[in-house]
Amino acid sequence: MLVIRAITLDDVDPLIEMARQVGSGMTTLKPDRDMLGERVTIAVASFAQTIPPEERDYMFVMEDTSNGRLAGVCAIKAAVGLNEPFYNYRIGTLVHSSRELNVFTRMDTLYLSNDLTGSSELCSLFLMPEYRTGSNGKWLSKSRFLFIAQFQQLFTEKIIAEMRGYQAEDGTSPFYEGLGRHFFKMDFDHVDGLTAVGKKSFIAELMPRQPLYVAYLPDDAQSVIGQVHRSTLPARKLLEQEGMHYEGYVDIFDAGPVLQGRVSELRAVRDSVPTVADEGAPEGECDITLVSNTKLEDFRMILTLACNGGAKVALSRRELQLLHCQAGDPVRTLSLNVRKNTNG
Amino acid sequence: MYVVRPVEPADVGALEALLAASTPGVHTLPRTREKISALVERSSASFAAHVDIPSEETYLFVLEDLEQGEIVGTAAIHASAGSNGTYFAFRNDVIQQVSRDLNISHSVHALTLCSELTAYSQLSGFTIRDREKAGKEAALLSRGRLLYAVLAPHRFGDRFFVPLAGVTDDKGQSPFWDALGRKFFKMDFLDAERVIGGARNRTLIVELMPHYPVYVPLLPGPAQEAMGQIHPSGELAFNLLTEEGFEADEYVDIFDGGPILQAHRNALRSFCGSMVRRVATQDQPPGAPAQLDTMVNYAVASSERNFRAVVVACTPAESGTTLCLPSWTRKALQVAPGDNVICVRI
Repeated sequence: MLVIRAITLDDVDPLIEMARQVGSGMTTLKPDRDMLGERVTIAVASFAQTIPPEERDYMFVMEDTSNGRLAGVCAIKAAVGLNEPFYNYRIGTLVHSSRELNVFTRMDTLYLSNDLTGSSELCSLFLMPEYRTGSNGKWLSKSRFLFIAQFQQLFTEKIIAEMRGYQAEDGTSPFYEGLGRHFFKMDFDHVDGLTAVGKKSFIAELMPRQPLYVAYLPDDAQSVIGQVHRSTLPARKLLEQEGMHYEGYVDIFDAGPVLQGRVSELRAVRDSVPTVADEGAPEGECDITLVSNTKLEDFRMILTLACNGGAKVALSRRELQLLHCQAGDPVRTLSLNVRKNTNG
Repeated sequence: MYVVRPVEPADVGALEALLAASTPGVHTLPRTREKISALVERSSASFAAHVDIPSEETYLFVLEDLEQGEIVGTAAIHASAGSNGTYFAFRNDVIQQVSRDLNISHSVHALTLCSELTAYSQLSGFTIRDREKAGKEAALLSRGRLLYAVLAPHRFGDRFFVPLAGVTDDKGQSPFWDALGRKFFKMDFLDAERVIGGARNRTLIVELMPHYPVYVPLLPGPAQEAMGQIHPSGELAFNLLTEEGFEADEYVDIFDGGPILQAHRNALRSFCGSMVRRVATQDQPPGAPAQLDTMVNYAVASSERNFRAVVVACTPAESGTTLCLPSWTRKALQVAPGDNVICVRI
């Protein structure tokens, strides 16, 4: 069976193994022992609450208990941009109008901003190819929302997720070719690599500081602003179902959208149910449901068929073991899929 | 033999004929009789005005062919470019991008809408018939107005600039405009020039043109190539002005990207190289044929109140106190021996 749980120091080696399979495009998961080792250390300290809330980085792994292997990883950074600047372009509007000439021109503009500084960020989602079946991907992504719902006080009101931007068949980014290249004079892959090793803010220093009119960019660069990479479309849809929206912030390199949500408006926060674990078999109308324990330091979550609305949730003995729970312990549940009668 | 002098009401008809034949697309001088008359009136009033601070005055000069009795050229100066508004131009800025950590350093070229030319005096309206065949008289025409400024510095700013028409194709399309202004004005280059009357000091420029720097690398190639390039019709003026001491490269026109030459007056040869000399007749000292070899061309101008300028070959005047002028010159300048003139080598 699969369980999603807080990462531990023992996971560093398998995590590096997994990072080898990630490939380019995922900047926060590179197979670098120093980098990943340090990140896991921070994550463990985060769950143990031995570092201040804004420095925390909650990493979760999906483990296959049948063989002890890691199937996937995901994370929530408590706050971005507090150590080094976090840059985005904000799409703005400027109207140029002359009554005398009867000209009214509405221009989109790109403003270099640090507006999202301090937001909590969903990041580093990766599922091993052999586990990309059934609801695994959906569950891994949504597990973070249930964590946030359980521990709302640990997060800022704003949650963001950066989505990989559009790339052409040959892997080039039309937005980067139309804009960034003129200022960095290096290939996108190179920039991407620097971003991964934490040099994004250095690169941002080379970007034009003044707002840019989108109309100056070539058409193919204009048309991909706010568009995700083809392979990222499903991920974007998932996050949008959970209450995240594109609100006009994009990545400065590939113009991929930043999805934003307010913690209080997330489906998981509104619809998840604090309840009590019980040992038994589910009865009545059941849904595929995320069930987590309520322990920060030993956070664990399973996906199971469970009945909604009761004061207790019936779980098998094996499931209780996976959750490190006993009957009578508090748990939190969230249906995997959006219920049609609540928010469609 | 040519003379540069202030325009007179009697010149209107001749101006109309001259300007009708000039290059289209250059909007600095009007073409209709009514507007030409108004300009001539304004110029006459400007020459007659008592000026404390340079303001709305426009001084229009004509080049007259004395032998034919014809008007063959025009040149003008506006005392203050932005007298009834703000004069807008793009300034060429270079932004240094340095990242020590990444070991990257390069410069990015940007155009910034600026208004600092507002208080400058503006040269404009340089037109000459048979431009290809023009000789020293073209230099006289271009420089004559500056000699007037030397004689009457209080009428002008400390700095001067000259916008020159930028590159357009045979259909009147400007690549620079198409990449920039068109996006904001939503109209063709010539239509835009027509509605704005060739002006660069109208409020609608603030309303429509970009306030933020235009990063040049983002402009399409043809627009980048057109920046600072002159229309072929402006080549003569460009050469004369750069010889005079004007510098290109710092500013370009907001519409067609043509160069705007500019200089502090101290950098201009008319200002720093002109000398005041007493008029003498050419017979003193007695001219020997050998001296013809040493004769040099001077632009000579009379006075602020009765301004005339000619170009004439004289014996070098640098070391003396007098300038020997032949009688036709004295007549054209309306000066007599003993009067003071200013002169500068051409």
